[in-house]
Amino acid sequence: MGSSAKSSSPITTHVLNTGDGVPAARVALSLHHLDPRMAIWSLITIGNTNEDGRCPGLITSDAFTPGLYKIRFETGQYWESLGQSSFYPYVEIVFTISDADQSCHVPLLVSKYSYSTYRGSQ
Amino acid sequence: MNRLQHIRSHMLADKNMNIATTLPSPLTTHVLNTAQGVPGGNMTISLHRLNPISSEWYLLTTGITNDDGRCPGLITKESFIAGVYKMHFETGKYWDALGETCFYPYVEVIFTITDPSQKYHVPLLLSRFSYSTYRGS
Repeated sequence: MGSSAKSSSPITTHVLNTGDGVPAARVALSLHHLDPRMAIWSLITIGNTNEDGRCPGLITSDAFTPGLYKIRFETGQYWESLGQSSFYPYVEIVFTISDADQSCHVPLLVSKYSYSTYRGSQ
Repeated sequence: MNRLQHIRSHMLADKNMNIATTLPSPLTTHVLNTAQGVPGGNMTISLHRLNPISSEWYLLTTGITNDDGRCPGLITKESFIAGVYKMHFETGKYWDALGETCFYPYVEVIFTITDPSQKYHVPLLLSRFSYSTYRGS
Protein backbone atom coordinates (compact mmCIF):
# COMPACT_ATOMS: atom_id res chain seq x y z
CA MET A 1 0.00 0.00 0.00
CA GLY A 2 1.07 3.63 -0.49
CA SER A 3 2.77 5.46 2.33
CA SER A 4 0.35 8.41 2.31
CA ALA A 5 -1.69 9.26 5.40
CA LYS A 6 -4.90 7.28 5.60
CA SER A 7 -7.18 10.27 5.31
CA SER A 8 -5.55 11.80 2.26
CA SER A 9 -6.06 9.37 -0.59
CA PRO A 10 -8.28 11.16 -3.08
CA ILE A 11 -9.61 7.80 -4.32
CA THR A 12 -11.31 5.62 -1.74
CA THR A 13 -13.32 2.45 -1.88
CA HIS A 14 -15.55 0.41 0.40
CA VAL A 15 -16.48 -3.20 -0.29
CA LEU A 16 -19.70 -4.50 1.21
CA ASN A 17 -20.82 -8.11 1.21
CA THR A 18 -24.52 -7.59 0.62
CA GLY A 19 -25.21 -11.32 0.69
CA ASP A 20 -24.24 -11.56 4.34
CA GLY A 21 -24.75 -7.94 5.37
CA VAL A 22 -21.14 -7.38 6.45
CA PRO A 23 -18.14 -5.43 5.23
CA ALA A 24 -16.06 -7.53 2.86
CA ALA A 25 -12.75 -7.88 4.67
CA ARG A 26 -9.48 -9.08 3.16
CA VAL A 27 -10.54 -8.58 -0.43
CA ALA A 28 -7.43 -8.17 -2.58
CA LEU A 29 -7.65 -5.23 -4.90
CA SER A 30 -5.50 -3.13 -7.20
CA LEU A 31 -5.70 0.40 -8.58
CA HIS A 32 -4.47 1.10 -12.11
CA HIS A 33 -4.09 4.19 -14.22
CA LEU A 34 -4.33 4.23 -18.01
CA ASP A 35 -1.28 5.81 -19.60
CA PRO A 36 -2.89 7.86 -22.37
CA ARG A 37 0.19 7.84 -24.59
CA MET A 38 0.85 4.13 -24.49
CA ALA A 39 -2.75 3.00 -23.96
CA ILE A 40 -1.68 0.51 -21.33
CA TRP A 41 -2.72 0.15 -17.71
CA SER A 42 -0.06 0.80 -15.13
CA LEU A 43 -0.38 -0.53 -11.60
CA ILE A 44 -0.47 2.13 -8.89
CA THR A 45 -1.27 0.17 -5.73
CA ILE A 46 -2.22 -3.26 -4.56
CA GLY A 47 -3.77 -3.92 -1.19
CA ASN A 48 -6.47 -5.68 0.77
CA THR A 49 -9.59 -4.35 2.39
CA ASN A 50 -9.46 -4.12 6.18
CA GLU A 51 -12.09 -5.43 8.61
CA ASP A 52 -14.30 -2.51 7.69
CA GLY A 53 -14.06 -3.30 3.97
CA ARG A 54 -11.93 -0.23 3.28
CA CYS A 55 -8.45 0.17 1.83
CA PRO A 56 -6.80 3.44 2.86
CA GLY A 57 -3.85 4.93 1.07
CA LEU A 58 -4.79 3.95 -2.49
CA ILE A 59 -3.09 6.93 -4.12
CA THR A 60 -1.30 10.11 -3.09
CA SER A 61 -2.62 13.55 -4.00
CA ASP A 62 0.50 14.16 -6.06
CA ALA A 63 -0.03 11.07 -8.16
CA PHE A 64 -3.74 11.80 -8.65
CA THR A 65 -4.08 13.35 -12.10
CA PRO A 66 -7.06 13.43 -14.49
CA GLY A 67 -7.47 10.35 -16.63
CA LEU A 68 -8.87 6.85 -16.66
CA TYR A 69 -8.53 4.65 -13.59
CA LYS A 70 -9.47 1.08 -12.88
CA ILE A 71 -9.97 -0.80 -9.62
CA ARG A 72 -9.87 -4.56 -9.85
CA PHE A 73 -11.46 -6.43 -6.93
CA GLU A 74 -10.56 -10.11 -6.44
CA THR A 75 -14.10 -11.03 -5.49
CA GLY A 76 -13.85 -14.63 -6.74
CA GLN A 77 -10.99 -15.29 -4.33
CA TYR A 78 -12.98 -13.61 -1.57
CA TRP A 79 -15.97 -15.92 -1.99
CA GLU A 80 -13.66 -18.93 -2.28
CA SER A 81 -12.08 -18.04 1.05
CA LEU A 82 -15.60 -18.22 2.50
CA GLY A 83 -16.06 -21.65 0.95
CA GLN A 84 -18.47 -20.43 -1.70
CA SER A 85 -18.53 -19.87 -5.43
CA SER A 86 -19.56 -16.75 -7.30
CA PHE A 87 -20.77 -15.85 -10.76
CA TYR A 88 -18.00 -13.25 -11.11
CA PRO A 89 -14.31 -14.31 -10.95
CA TYR A 90 -13.38 -10.67 -10.34
CA VAL A 91 -14.87 -7.20 -10.74
CA GLU A 92 -13.23 -4.34 -12.57
CA ILE A 93 -14.60 -0.82 -12.37
CA VAL A 94 -13.21 1.65 -14.88
CA PHE A 95 -13.88 5.32 -14.25
CA THR A 96 -12.92 8.77 -15.51
CA ILE A 97 -11.43 11.50 -13.34
CA SER A 98 -11.79 14.87 -15.03
CA ASP A 99 -11.20 17.06 -11.97
CA ALA A 100 -8.31 15.95 -9.77
CA ASP A 101 -9.22 18.53 -7.14
CA GLN A 102 -12.21 16.46 -6.06
CA SER A 103 -11.91 13.21 -4.19
CA CYS A 104 -13.76 10.24 -5.46
CA HIS A 105 -15.35 7.30 -3.65
CA VAL A 106 -15.82 4.08 -5.63
CA PRO A 107 -17.63 1.52 -3.45
CA LEU A 108 -18.54 -2.02 -4.44
CA LEU A 109 -21.61 -3.76 -3.08
CA VAL A 110 -21.21 -7.40 -3.93
CA SER A 111 -23.01 -10.68 -3.47
CA LYS A 112 -22.36 -14.02 -5.11
CA TYR A 113 -24.68 -13.23 -8.01
CA SER A 114 -24.81 -9.44 -8.23
CA TYR A 115 -22.85 -6.29 -7.71
CA SER A 116 -23.30 -2.56 -7.91
CA THR A 117 -21.20 0.54 -7.68
CA TYR A 118 -21.73 4.28 -7.68
CA ARG A 119 -19.69 7.43 -7.52
CA GLY A 120 -19.86 8.78 -4.02
CA SER A 121 -18.09 10.92 -1.51
CA GLN A 122 -16.39 9.27 1.43
CA MET B 1 -32.96 -20.06 -52.15
CA ASN B 2 -35.01 -21.06 -49.12
CA ARG B 3 -36.31 -18.51 -46.65
CA LEU B 4 -33.64 -19.16 -43.99
CA GLN B 5 -30.83 -18.72 -46.51
CA HIS B 6 -32.50 -15.52 -47.68
CA ILE B 7 -32.60 -14.16 -44.11
CA ARG B 8 -28.99 -15.19 -43.49
CA SER B 9 -27.79 -13.39 -46.59
CA HIS B 10 -29.33 -10.17 -45.26
CA MET B 11 -27.70 -10.64 -41.87
CA LEU B 12 -24.29 -11.37 -43.34
CA ALA B 13 -24.45 -7.98 -45.03
CA ASP B 14 -24.43 -6.31 -41.61
CA LYS B 15 -20.89 -6.74 -40.33
CA ASN B 16 -21.89 -6.21 -36.74
CA MET B 17 -24.31 -9.10 -36.47
CA ASN B 18 -23.45 -12.73 -36.19
CA ILE B 19 -25.80 -15.15 -37.88
CA ALA B 20 -28.81 -15.38 -35.59
CA THR B 21 -30.22 -18.83 -35.25
CA THR B 22 -33.89 -19.47 -34.95
CA LEU B 23 -33.26 -20.64 -31.39
CA PRO B 24 -32.90 -17.92 -28.73
CA SER B 25 -29.44 -17.23 -27.39
CA PRO B 26 -28.72 -19.05 -24.09
CA LEU B 27 -27.04 -15.83 -22.94
CA THR B 28 -29.02 -12.60 -22.92
CA THR B 29 -28.59 -9.07 -21.67
CA HIS B 30 -30.84 -6.10 -21.02
CA VAL B 31 -29.61 -2.54 -20.58
CA LEU B 32 -31.76 -0.21 -18.50
CA ASN B 33 -31.19 3.51 -18.17
CA THR B 34 -32.23 3.90 -14.55
CA ALA B 35 -31.65 7.64 -14.54
CA GLN B 36 -34.34 8.26 -17.13
CA GLY B 37 -36.46 5.18 -16.55
CA VAL B 38 -36.11 3.89 -20.09
CA PRO B 39 -34.44 0.95 -21.80
CA GLY B 40 -30.83 1.59 -22.80
CA GLY B 41 -31.31 1.39 -26.55
CA ASN B 42 -28.66 1.92 -29.22
CA MET B 43 -25.74 0.94 -26.97
CA THR B 44 -22.83 -0.93 -28.56
CA ILE B 45 -21.93 -4.10 -26.70
CA SER B 46 -19.58 -7.01 -27.30
CA LEU B 47 -19.23 -10.51 -25.94
CA HIS B 48 -15.83 -12.15 -25.40
CA ARG B 49 -14.60 -15.49 -24.11
CA LEU B 50 -11.32 -15.99 -22.28
CA ASN B 51 -8.88 -18.42 -23.84
CA PRO B 52 -7.65 -20.23 -20.71
CA ILE B 53 -4.34 -21.23 -22.30
CA SER B 54 -3.26 -17.87 -23.72
CA SER B 55 -5.24 -15.74 -21.22
CA GLU B 56 -6.42 -13.64 -24.12
CA TRP B 57 -9.96 -12.48 -24.78
CA TYR B 58 -11.53 -13.78 -27.96
CA LEU B 59 -14.24 -11.60 -29.49
CA LEU B 60 -17.40 -13.60 -30.16
CA THR B 61 -20.04 -11.03 -31.05
CA THR B 62 -20.59 -7.34 -31.38
CA GLY B 63 -24.02 -5.83 -31.42
CA ILE B 64 -26.16 -2.82 -30.63
CA THR B 65 -29.05 -2.92 -28.19
CA ASN B 66 -32.47 -2.42 -29.73
CA ASP B 67 -35.11 0.07 -28.55
CA ASP B 68 -35.97 -2.31 -25.73
CA GLY B 69 -32.35 -2.37 -24.53
CA ARG B 70 -31.89 -5.97 -25.63
CA CYS B 71 -29.51 -7.63 -28.05
CA PRO B 72 -30.86 -10.95 -29.34
CA GLY B 73 -28.61 -13.51 -30.94
CA LEU B 74 -25.56 -12.95 -28.72
CA ILE B 75 -24.36 -16.53 -29.01
CA THR B 76 -25.52 -19.84 -30.41
CA LYS B 77 -26.15 -22.87 -28.26
CA GLU B 78 -23.27 -24.64 -30.01
CA SER B 79 -20.76 -21.89 -29.25
CA PHE B 80 -21.88 -21.53 -25.65
CA ILE B 81 -19.31 -23.65 -23.84
CA ALA B 82 -18.21 -23.51 -20.21
CA GLY B 83 -15.65 -20.81 -19.53
CA VAL B 84 -15.08 -17.22 -18.50
CA TYR B 85 -16.91 -14.60 -20.55
CA LYS B 86 -16.88 -10.83 -20.67
CA MET B 87 -19.64 -8.50 -21.74
CA HIS B 88 -18.39 -5.04 -22.72
CA PHE B 89 -20.86 -2.13 -22.73
CA GLU B 90 -19.98 1.18 -24.41
CA THR B 91 -21.57 3.28 -21.67
CA GLY B 92 -19.50 6.43 -22.28
CA LYS B 93 -20.55 6.60 -25.93
CA TYR B 94 -24.15 5.89 -24.93
CA TRP B 95 -24.37 8.90 -22.61
CA ASP B 96 -22.35 11.01 -25.04
CA ALA B 97 -25.01 10.41 -27.69
CA LEU B 98 -27.55 11.72 -25.18
CA GLY B 99 -25.43 14.84 -24.65
CA GLU B 100 -24.26 13.81 -21.19
CA THR B 101 -21.04 12.73 -19.54
CA CYS B 102 -20.67 9.45 -17.67
CA PHE B 103 -18.35 8.44 -14.85
CA TYR B 104 -17.77 5.11 -16.58
CA PRO B 105 -16.21 5.21 -20.08
CA TYR B 106 -17.25 1.58 -20.45
CA VAL B 107 -18.48 -1.24 -18.26
CA GLU B 108 -17.15 -4.77 -18.40
CA VAL B 109 -18.89 -7.61 -16.62
CA ILE B 110 -16.78 -10.76 -16.35
CA PHE B 111 -18.60 -13.93 -15.41
CA THR B 112 -18.09 -17.68 -15.23
CA ILE B 113 -20.28 -20.17 -17.06
CA THR B 114 -20.00 -23.56 -15.43
CA ASP B 115 -23.14 -25.17 -16.85
CA PRO B 116 -23.85 -24.11 -20.45
CA SER B 117 -27.10 -26.07 -20.50
CA GLN B 118 -28.65 -23.33 -18.36
CA LYS B 119 -29.82 -19.93 -19.52
CA TYR B 120 -28.02 -16.87 -18.23
CA HIS B 121 -29.20 -13.28 -18.17
CA VAL B 122 -26.60 -10.55 -17.56
CA PRO B 123 -28.43 -7.21 -17.38
CA LEU B 124 -26.92 -3.77 -16.80
CA LEU B 125 -28.83 -1.12 -14.85
CA LEU B 126 -27.06 2.12 -15.57
CA SER B 127 -27.09 5.79 -14.75
CA ARG B 128 -24.37 8.38 -15.32
CA PHE B 129 -22.83 7.75 -11.90
CA SER B 130 -23.82 4.21 -10.96
CA TYR B 131 -24.46 0.76 -12.33
CA SER B 132 -25.45 -2.65 -11.17
CA THR B 133 -25.69 -6.12 -12.60
CA TYR B 134 -26.96 -9.48 -11.45
CA ARG B 135 -27.30 -13.00 -12.69
CA GLY B 136 -30.85 -13.48 -13.85
CA SER B 137 -32.82 -15.89 -15.93
